[in-house]
Amino acid sequence: MTPGKHSGASARAANGGAWGYRDFRGGQKKGWCTTPQLVATMPVSPAGSHKQQNFGLNNATQPKKSISFFATMKATSVKGYTGANQSRMAVSKTVLIPPELKTVEKPNPNIKTTQVFDINGTDVTPRPLYHPDPLTGTAKPSKLLTSQEGSLGSEFISSYSLYQNTINPSTLGQFTRSVLGSSTVSKSSVSASESIAEDLEEPSYKRERLTSFTDLQVIRAAPEKIVTKEDLEKNIEIILTETETLRFFDLPTVMVSVESEEAEKVTQRNKNYEVLCRNRLGNDLYVERMMQTFNGAPKNKDVQCDKIIMEDKGIMSTAWDLYDSYNAMELVSLSVKQSVVESSSKANVLPKDQDQRLPGSTTEKNSETSSLMDIENVILAKIHEDEEDHSDAILKSDKFHQDLFFMERVLMENIFQPKLAAYRQLPVLKEPEPEEPEDVLESAKHEEVEEESKKEEEEEIHAEESTIPANLERLWSFSCDLTKGLNVSSLAWNKTNPDLLAVGYGHFGFKEQKRGLACCWSIKNPMYFFYCFSESPQKHLGPVWQLQWIEQDRGTTGDGKREILVSISADGRISKWVIRKGLDCYDLMRLKRTTAASNKKGGEKEKKDEALISRQAPGMCFAFHPKDTNIYLAGTEEGHIHKCSCSYNEQYLDTYRGHKGPVYKVTWNPFCHDVFLSCSADWGVIIWQQENVKPSLSFYPATSVVYDVAWSPKSSYIFAAANENRVEIWDLHISTLDPLIVNTANPGIKFTTILFAKQTDCLLVGDSDGQVSVYELRNMPTVLETGRGDIMDTLLGSKSNQSA
Amino acid sequence: MNEWTNTGREPDPLPSSLPGPTAPGLGEPQAEVEETLKRIQSHKGVIGTMVVNAEGIPIRTTLDNSTTVQYAGLLHHLTMKAKSTVRDIDPQNDLTFLRIRSKKHEIMVAPDKEYLLIVIQNPCE
Repeated sequence: MTPGKHSGASARAANGGAWGYRDFRGGQKKGWCTTPQLVATMPVSPAGSHKQQNFGLNNATQPKKSISFFATMKATSVKGYTGANQSRMAVSKTVLIPPELKTVEKPNPNIKTTQVFDINGTDVTPRPLYHPDPLTGTAKPSKLLTSQEGSLGSEFISSYSLYQNTINPSTLGQFTRSVLGSSTVSKSSVSASESIAEDLEEPSYKRERLTSFTDLQVIRAAPEKIVTKEDLEKNIEIILTETETLRFFDLPTVMVSVESEEAEKVTQRNKNYEVLCRNRLGNDLYVERMMQTFNGAPKNKDVQCDKIIMEDKGIMSTAWDLYDSYNAMELVSLSVKQSVVESSSKANVLPKDQDQRLPGSTTEKNSETSSLMDIENVILAKIHEDEEDHSDAILKSDKFHQDLFFMERVLMENIFQPKLAAYRQLPVLKEPEPEEPEDVLESAKHEEVEEESKKEEEEEIHAEESTIPANLERLWSFSCDLTKGLNVSSLAWNKTNPDLLAVGYGHFGFKEQKRGLACCWSIKNPMYFFYCFSESPQKHLGPVWQLQWIEQDRGTTGDGKREILVSISADGRISKWVIRKGLDCYDLMRLKRTTAASNKKGGEKEKKDEALISRQAPGMCFAFHPKDTNIYLAGTEEGHIHKCSCSYNEQYLDTYRGHKGPVYKVTWNPFCHDVFLSCSADWGVIIWQQENVKPSLSFYPATSVVYDVAWSPKSSYIFAAANENRVEIWDLHISTLDPLIVNTANPGIKFTTILFAKQTDCLLVGDSDGQVSVYELRNMPTVLETGRGDIMDTLLGSKSNQSA
Repeated sequence: MNEWTNTGREPDPLPSSLPGPTAPGLGEPQAEVEETLKRIQSHKGVIGTMVVNAEGIPIRTTLDNSTTVQYAGLLHHLTMKAKSTVRDIDPQNDLTFLRIRSKKHEIMVAPDKEYLLIVIQNPCE
């Protein structure tokens, strides 16, 4: 139903005089549209043309409407044009010329078509570019036509008007009013208007007349004025002027220098082009042809797609995350299996912890929030078996052990913080007392007052301390359930880690033979040992009284210093232990009962000669010389102290006699290497000089067995002695008759061992209850640094005269 | 014969091969753990002891469930943050222990990938 369809309309262009008309044919019901081929421009008498048209076209149905066109003549009757309804598919149209028109046209036999001549007389009448479709009509009123007064020929007008779009029946009414030309309206137009008026009514009925014409006769509503003959015959000048040149295409020439590299190519191209142009004219290769393109009608198309879901993801990139990712990439290739196992076993664990391991995983935040939800949900639900197993696994893990261990240490640190600080000679933190909630101001003032009072107290204390004599302050004690009731038989510090203490437990009494214990304690945890050792060595045939690691020069073998373990036992042997495929021992010395001729020992000698149950003397203790590790002292049960050498294992170098009971401890003075100290069950403590076989100084402070004695590591004058029920600190510089400090034990408890702490002013005392108490030595007199050894000598020298 | 060796450093705590002076039947590590936990709980000033797994479910606790859960959740976040801080400064480092001392008490956290060991102590008593 396009207007472009023809029904084989024959061109009647030849007929048209001044009329541009549309060709029609009598088509009835099919709704053809016809398009004219040409628009006539020839001057034709309207009457004749009309007649011709009538003759030619009058077929079939009697048209009721006529299509009339503009008069191309001047001052001819106005012809409206018809606009056909395209949808109507006008079947056929005929041109009816109302008789009035004819009459009008009669007085104008001479109709001239507009022709344009230029200066030279050439006919430059522009030909119409557009051949109008008989069915199409102008859709818009053309102002161009209204403005002109017969300037353009009606043919132009018609052609122009026919350029317009097709019209709708609703708009037809407009056309009737549109002034299509300035051509004058004649009487015929009046009559035409009448007919138009009739026609006007018709649009509404058009639809009813499907098979009939849809022609409309539309006549310009030109102003009516009386046209005289003179007017008609007047020559009107039409002036054509040249419009501005519109540039559609501008290709500026490109100039290339002859000397440039491209010059040759360019000239060649130019030559080729010239040849081409010359050849073009008659050449078959170049044919001029025109094409008409179709303008496709634009069409809107909508497409609907699924909603694009957008998600926000946040990544926090941290240095450790990058580090883990890089490392993980390396490790993945190595431990693929391990990771698989891990991941499968930790399936229950939320990824938030694994994120730190897995490369590039960044869902921490999301999983954290979700995990909180999970926590609440899961806690409401009961624990599943998987989780139970998992929790057991956690409890059994080594890391958990370790964490518990540390946690205990930390707790201890908190509890014992002041004591530990005192031990380590650090200023003690005064823990602020937890205050009840008060106003801020009040509490601030309160604190200030407290601080002031504290300061005063401290000052007083300082003042008092200077007058307070030296004392022992008990800090804490190492004890626990398992060691309760056992005698502390020995104490030893760890050389490398000064916080570690080894404590040996035994039972001195013979009635209850509990098994012995050796435990390792740490200062950091005074409430429980961290290592324990429960069997006693069997290789000695009797109880081992002392064990010690000795650093010994092995000059002969050239091995450098080595540490060896030396032990002394009641079976009279001093043995050196070596680890070679098991523990092996070499005897350094066998203690024999002395047969030294001495008046005091005469009686004993006789006894021994008679009944020699054993020639071995039970050794109780030994001490290696601090400088010369080949020399050592051994104390025996007899009360003798023998100086021996590692080189000789048969003979003593010296024997010191002075004690009357078993010598429990022998110890060299750490500063003055000629002096050593011994204590024994005969209630006495004796200071010896190496050269002197006789005792230099002896003390009998109380009527109780002295179990242990030790020099202070800080001063050469100070030593400590553990009696049965008290600990005494002696300072020889101050007094040789009385101990400086005496600390009495609780009744029932005996102090059995004593040990000085090396870096701190503390004393460890083991007792028979299994406790090792740590005491802090306070207000000790300042140590004289210079010339200790000399002073010792002088002191002893002066005293030896007195005491011996 | 059991040897007494002074290796000069603290040995691993509570090794499982330890014959130990503990009561018979407690040679397993599980029992050691229980024993240590009990000891910790009975220390002076300890308000509560908690072991929670990575999901925040309490494995052992001496406090009520809601408090435990609250502590677990909050401390987990804080531990994560502290760990992140430590590792940001040096990725080869890692957080081993966290102590928060407040006016009223001290919270000690031993974090691990799989669990959190939390002890609350009032050190002033």
